Amino acid sequence: MSGPISGVTGGQRFIDDVAEGDELPPMVKNASRAQLFLFSAATNNPHRIHYDREYAATEGHPDVLVHGPLQGAWLTQFISDWMGPRGRLLTLTLQNRGRAFPESDLTFKGRVKAVRPEGIVELEAWEEDADGHVLVPGTATVRLPRRE
Amino acid sequence: MSQTESLVPDEAREMIGEPLSEPVTSTITAKEAQRFAYAAGDLNPIYFDEEAARAAGYETLVVPPTFLAWALAPYRPATEVRTDGLYRGGGARTFKLRVQRVMFGGEEWDFLTPVYAGDTITSTTRLKDLEEKVGGSGPFVLQTTETTFMNQEGQIVARVRGKSIAR
Repeated sequence: MSGPISGVTGGQRFIDDVAEGDELPPMVKNASRAQLFLFSAATNNPHRIHYDREYAATEGHPDVLVHGPLQGAWLTQFISDWMGPRGRLLTLTLQNRGRAFPESDLTFKGRVKAVRPEGIVELEAWEEDADGHVLVPGTATVRLPRRE
Repeated sequence: MSQTESLVPDEAREMIGEPLSEPVTSTITAKEAQRFAYAAGDLNPIYFDEEAARAAGYETLVVPPTFLAWALAPYRPATEVRTDGLYRGGGARTFKLRVQRVMFGGEEWDFLTPVYAGDTITSTTRLKDLEEKVGGSGPFVLQTTETTFMNQEGQIVARVRGKSIAR
């Protein structure tokens, strides 16, 4: 087997084991400036607020900003890792409420809002900064397999 | 500019419901999908390991869901960027609001069927809505676009409503 193995994927989650109110294990991200550069490159995004601190200051930002879509990719990872490989992400919503900065802990948290009989789980999930401010509130709907 | 002048000129309002560009088509390679996953630090085996993807019930390597928003954008000459670094509006149909700045506000995704490495995806983006609102730092426009993604078999694989805040 050649591909990398995710350090956070903890196996498969089944609908049978999920209950309303369950909390998702938190995931912490801390982006280096190099990671921001790589994400700009991977999305062909030349927006200077993500790599040019002097320019970012002219828009009123104390530092370069973490991309909204990078935080969206992290939210997707957070939920996908919780589900396990046989889970399916059906919907995802997220809002960008506050600025996220590099070299600073960003913590993803979530909880189960509802479990529907057909194997669908509704989640709320969000990203907080180091002070506990919610920067990215979100929701997701996922489908989980049933134990055989 | 008078106090009562709308941030949304009539010409922009008339664009609601209209496509913002010609459809865009591109084949998504495993390599570019993995570059996105690596950059995000998401090493989910279904993006990297074909056997793991099949074991999880997929046909082959999966494309990270939100990469769709980026995978189809055509590359542009480096000279076509503005002072802030963003590319100048290149769509066939653009509209102007009476604002200084547009910020990413959020996204609402529907993922209908998996997107696989090697799929050829066609996207169409329409202007869905322009809502004028007033917030803590003054009036702004909540701009919603909707992009639909279709695969080579004509299946809609995903939709995203993108929200931007223009002020």
